[in-house]
Amino acid sequence: MKTIFIFGLRKMQLFALYRATAFGVVLVVTLILQGCDDFTQTPMPVTELNTAAVFEDLNTANAAMANLYAQIRDNGMLTGKTTGLSKEMGLYTDELTWYGSSTQSSSYFYTNTLLATDSTIENWWDNAYSQIYAANLLIEGVGKSDKLLVADKERFIGQAKFARALVHLYLVQLYGAIPYITITDYSVNKNVQRLDEAKVYEKIINDLEAAVLLLPAEYPNSTRSLPNSYAAQALLARAYLYAGKWSEAANSASAVLNNTSLYVWEEELNHVFLKGSTTTIWQYAGRTPTRNTDDGSTFIFNAAPPNSVALTSQHMAAFEPGDQRKEQWTRGLVKDNLTFYHAFKYKKIGGDTPQTECTVVLRMAEQYLIRAEARARQGELAGAREDLNKVRNRAGLPNTTAVTVPALLQAILHERQVELFTEFAHRFIDLKRLGSIGTALDYKDGWNFTDQYLPLPQTELNLNPNLGSQNPGY
Amino acid sequence: MQKNLLFKGRTRCKPLVLLQMLLLFWITTAAAQSTLIEGTVSDTQGTLPGVNVQLKNKSTGTFTDAQGAFQINAKPSDTLVFSYIGYQTQEVVVGSKTHFSMVLVPDATALEEVLVNAGYYKVKDKERTGSIAKITAKDIETQPVSNFLATMQGRMAGVHITQQSGTAGTGFNIQIRGQNSVRRDGNTPLYIVDGVPFSSDAIGNGSSMASFSVPNNPLSSINPSDIESLEVLKDADATAIYGSRGANGVVLITTKKGKAGKTQFTASIASGFGSVAHFMKLMNTEQYLSMRAEGFANDGITEYPATAYDINGTWDQNRYTDWQKELLGGTSTITNANVSVSGGSEQTKFMVSGTYGSEGTVLPGDFGYTRISVRPSFNHASKDNRFKMAFTGGYNLQKNNQPSTDITMEGIRLAPNAPALYDAAGNLNWEDGTFDNPLALLRGHARSKTHDFIANTTLSYSLFDKLDFKTSLGYTKLDHYESSTYPSTMYDPADQIGSNLSRINYTNSGRESWTVEPQLNWKTSWNVLNVDLLLGGTFQQQHNKSLTIAASGFSSNSLIYNPTAAAQLLLSRFDDSQYKYQSFFGRANFNIDEKYIFNLTGRRDGSSRFGAHKRFGWFGAVGTAWLFSKEKPLTNSKVLSFGKLRGSYGITGNDQIGNYQYLDSYTSVSANYDGVTGLIPSRLYNPDFGWETNKKLEVALETGFLNDRIFLTAAWYRNRSSNQLVGVPLPGTTGFTQIQSNLDAEVENKGIELTLETVNIKSKDLRWTTSINFSKSKNTLLSFPNLESSTYKNSYIIGAPLNIVKLFHYTGVDPQTGLYTFEDVNADGVLTNLEDKKTVMDFNPSYFGGVHNQFVYKNWQLDFLFQFVKQKNYNLPLIFGIPGGNSNASTVVLDHWQAPGDIASTQLYTSGANGAAMTASGRFGASDAAVTDTSFLRLKNVAVNYTLPKQWMHNVVCKLSLEGQNILTFTPFKGADPEFAGIGYLPPLRVVTAGVQFIF
Repeated sequence: MKTIFIFGLRKMQLFALYRATAFGVVLVVTLILQGCDDFTQTPMPVTELNTAAVFEDLNTANAAMANLYAQIRDNGMLTGKTTGLSKEMGLYTDELTWYGSSTQSSSYFYTNTLLATDSTIENWWDNAYSQIYAANLLIEGVGKSDKLLVADKERFIGQAKFARALVHLYLVQLYGAIPYITITDYSVNKNVQRLDEAKVYEKIINDLEAAVLLLPAEYPNSTRSLPNSYAAQALLARAYLYAGKWSEAANSASAVLNNTSLYVWEEELNHVFLKGSTTTIWQYAGRTPTRNTDDGSTFIFNAAPPNSVALTSQHMAAFEPGDQRKEQWTRGLVKDNLTFYHAFKYKKIGGDTPQTECTVVLRMAEQYLIRAEARARQGELAGAREDLNKVRNRAGLPNTTAVTVPALLQAILHERQVELFTEFAHRFIDLKRLGSIGTALDYKDGWNFTDQYLPLPQTELNLNPNLGSQNPGY
Repeated sequence: MQKNLLFKGRTRCKPLVLLQMLLLFWITTAAAQSTLIEGTVSDTQGTLPGVNVQLKNKSTGTFTDAQGAFQINAKPSDTLVFSYIGYQTQEVVVGSKTHFSMVLVPDATALEEVLVNAGYYKVKDKERTGSIAKITAKDIETQPVSNFLATMQGRMAGVHITQQSGTAGTGFNIQIRGQNSVRRDGNTPLYIVDGVPFSSDAIGNGSSMASFSVPNNPLSSINPSDIESLEVLKDADATAIYGSRGANGVVLITTKKGKAGKTQFTASIASGFGSVAHFMKLMNTEQYLSMRAEGFANDGITEYPATAYDINGTWDQNRYTDWQKELLGGTSTITNANVSVSGGSEQTKFMVSGTYGSEGTVLPGDFGYTRISVRPSFNHASKDNRFKMAFTGGYNLQKNNQPSTDITMEGIRLAPNAPALYDAAGNLNWEDGTFDNPLALLRGHARSKTHDFIANTTLSYSLFDKLDFKTSLGYTKLDHYESSTYPSTMYDPADQIGSNLSRINYTNSGRESWTVEPQLNWKTSWNVLNVDLLLGGTFQQQHNKSLTIAASGFSSNSLIYNPTAAAQLLLSRFDDSQYKYQSFFGRANFNIDEKYIFNLTGRRDGSSRFGAHKRFGWFGAVGTAWLFSKEKPLTNSKVLSFGKLRGSYGITGNDQIGNYQYLDSYTSVSANYDGVTGLIPSRLYNPDFGWETNKKLEVALETGFLNDRIFLTAAWYRNRSSNQLVGVPLPGTTGFTQIQSNLDAEVENKGIELTLETVNIKSKDLRWTTSINFSKSKNTLLSFPNLESSTYKNSYIIGAPLNIVKLFHYTGVDPQTGLYTFEDVNADGVLTNLEDKKTVMDFNPSYFGGVHNQFVYKNWQLDFLFQFVKQKNYNLPLIFGIPGGNSNASTVVLDHWQAPGDIASTQLYTSGANGAAMTASGRFGASDAAVTDTSFLRLKNVAVNYTLPKQWMHNVVCKLSLEGQNILTFTPFKGADPEFAGIGYLPPLRVVTAGVQFIF
């Protein structure tokens, strides 16, 4: 018999090799194949919920909406925390002085020496578009849902469009031409181009007009922390004003102010920022049910000199003699014959049971001032003066003496300065849109005319070449 | 044939001794006319306890006692075999002698039977086909470090380790053969402790850790003194059996086990000191104040601002404090103690060890790190040796208490004339609210406690002759508690910040995993062919849980650790995730005549980290070796004692992307709005990403000369990673900053690694050995489809390394304006990042390595290791502040522009009000001038050991040691230490300890 050798192996040995190998393979492979595919299946984590499922249930859809508003309250431009624009843009203009470290972002806001790589600039941008994404995902998810009631769907879409318009409105004020994002598809959104400011306003106005129609007249809750139709109307009034649509601005403001069952003028200055104030059109819900505003912690200090911010001497000098807002909405602390003032609209730091203050975003006084300005622009001087005086008289000041349109516009700008200080960058936006920013901030060493736009985040320009060139001056 | 082979040569490793014993049991002996033989065994330094004395080819055997003496019954025809690990085995025919005085010779260069752990199997070092680097307890024990990764620094070719902070208990960064994944955090190797995968994913939560801390790395719970050997698997042949987790290399950690013989007690204690070796050179008060004055003058500011306390007269203008010395210049005390008991019979062996280690702080305060570990292990084999069982366990407790803020930056930035830290009454000085006292930061604590348990049981049974069934069962459990506090006492009491604003963040996290690995191993041989087959499967599950709580507002700061006393309580993060992993693997090794070796390995992996369609993947490799020194013309060479050519090629993978990334979902978050708890969109949805693959190719030559007294290994490798599993950065306009997806890009790492081991002097009393390793590597982005239109356009360049930065080209200080100037590459009159950052700097080390020398002279042993790295990094002294601003500066900025016409290296000083100067300063930090040579040559480790003569101690072995780490550094870098991850971290410490060890 012929013997076959492979590597010096005889056939019989090869057979033994095959048999033993086969046995081993069968044993181990059987072990492995048992539940092979199933083993790597992990259940849905307890911390996550399928996107489609979120919009099949009113409670989870509410939770998604609540988070959108919580994000606006907690992160990015519109937070009352120290990283928000109420403080940073106050430093950027003539409202606040910086007493902290020269190496913090706030210092660069104060000295108008921001760089495109600044962390706050990037933080504001990224958070804004993250909030816009959440709004768009809600609009898309609610739209696809066949479980939610039509009324709830309309409310959700209205609230999401309101949020989307609000965030874009601040982006366009700070950064100038920006992309307006209305979908969630990242393959499109990563290559978007900037729209010029007029186009952005058009889209903001479209969203808000839709929100006015979609949202109910009544607040969905007693705390006015989610917008109703009038809140959308109030923001629309502001958008019209910024876009130069005077009659529409006046009409929208009137629509809000005429609802006297919801909005009742408050004569007591110190009640304006209380949680239950009837002049509040929209305010944030507190971070917890017992927590007061972040704005309070950001601005109030109890020892002089402060280690963060104080109101500037320019701002303090802007109060006319007898202006009760200086007494009630600011507080001075003396150190070595120097007085340091802080904003005192919100009186509380930290917790309170029950909570007494929430951050007010939209309030009646602004609507009067919007209408005053819109009326003045259209030559309705008497009406303009009447609205302006409403705000002045509450502060213990006499009626305005302005008679011409330019004088009245100047008076309104001034009134906005002392009424709306340290609230959501009103001062910066007003100075800019009324063309006064150059003269008002000329006293600041670092100020340049090109500073009226913030730089676009460098990372954003790097990642999306379609955004084009950086804003001038950076 | 097989048997003879095993008896031949020098048996150095325990498993072979075991096998030898096993074979001996099979042979029955007929003892007749045996007489009692006695004797002693010693080496040049004294008697040797625990030496195995065996009758050749018989089951009779014994061990020498503590005095090195033995007794055994033997016939004159018997042959005595004396074997002891680390010594050459000797054989003597009994004959007529009844007393033997044996002197064993240390086995210096014999690589022949050195076994290397390759994970699922062991191979003889000389016959391995893969690339495996190894260090053993001998190298580890001379180093006074608390993290085992530190023990590998400078000792392994191709392994680059960077210490990120000098704070005790913090992390290291390791890269084996360069960066494979485009994601920086996707490059960690797989760690296996005694066969159990050990997750190195960071634990804890950023909010409850110290600021500037490197994330808590669970690897720090592995105690270096418990390690018997560390093996790093590098090429495809060695790593492909780990399949999808082998792409970045595999680190095998083998802990110490008991040895048969007399019960042996070991006790050691070492203590010493650590301190920062070198600080950055900063300005003194005079230099600083004149810089500040000039800054204000340049800005046209004549009246100093009310808050410029350093210069407006508020603070003493003549005071000087070296803040780095004051705040970071302390000495930390270090103590390590270890007790172990080991012993047992051939059938059952055990070892129990306990370790205590503590490390203090260089900061002014009561901070420190403590580690306690207990590690039992035992092995058992049935009488017939068919059933075997091994258990190793380890329990480890780490406690760390550090400040919640790293004050390194304060030490650098504080004005040198800042006031005293304490007032006359001994309280913290706030200088009437003008001074942010840095010591106040130390009142916030970052504490952590980590319990770590690891256990592995291996059961094996010989089903048939040559066929073994083995199951490895592993379990790990880690519980980690951490908190960082920010009590109100961190702030000036004048600010009236009370304990109602004190806050604390806690994180409790746990990780639990189990693994089951059934395996079949079949070994056989026919004539010259040896075949070794392995088939196995893995089931692994890992469960992570983590809860972070933010609490604030306490009625008293002493209640800060009690969350129920908090006014505000927020559950800020909860994480609960599972990772499941399942695979089968195999190995077929063919060894022909011990000359030609083929090694095939393969694995099929499934991971729960991928969507349903992308879950499984195949990986595998082929390795070959040719021992050409065994070919006829070379077998009798006097010069060439060993020669091997080996090569391998294969594919490994990577799934380090975190769990659940493929889900389209919302995540519940703690944010609350009007009583409703939020749901947030989790991520951009993409279920279609799969395994990252890494194709590895290696060719190596191993040669030994002059009886292996000179041993040189040269390896060339080329690894190519593709299908990059990357969080592709996206512009913020997408709502996220990245999306999980496979990127069709290819990254290449290639390089050469040389190791040279020489025995320079080998005489009776003196032995001098040197080992040198050198690695040079090149990282290249080979391809990147549509890079120009991709989101990576500005981060990467095809043909360049991944770890690059694009920078402005610095063109000097303009003699007229005094501002930094940069090249306007596209000459459009403006400097833009996009178009003018065209200078490329590579931050990968271009080469690195180490030179280790060991001298043994009689009872003395001296070890020293030089580590060298050739690299570039940011020039921290130049870029950490704005010259003229409210921060102390390096003396390198003294050479500055003052008046038109000046040629200077630093631009004009500004107090911060000069926008153009600020912009220029920002660009300077992003220019090539901000990058410098941070290469270094470091005397990394020095250790002197002295073993007391045995007669002095009644046969108790007593060793004295003096060890130092980071002793001397030579570098052109002007900062504190050239080994850094970023500014603001405490540099690695210089440590010196003295110790004593007793073995009896």
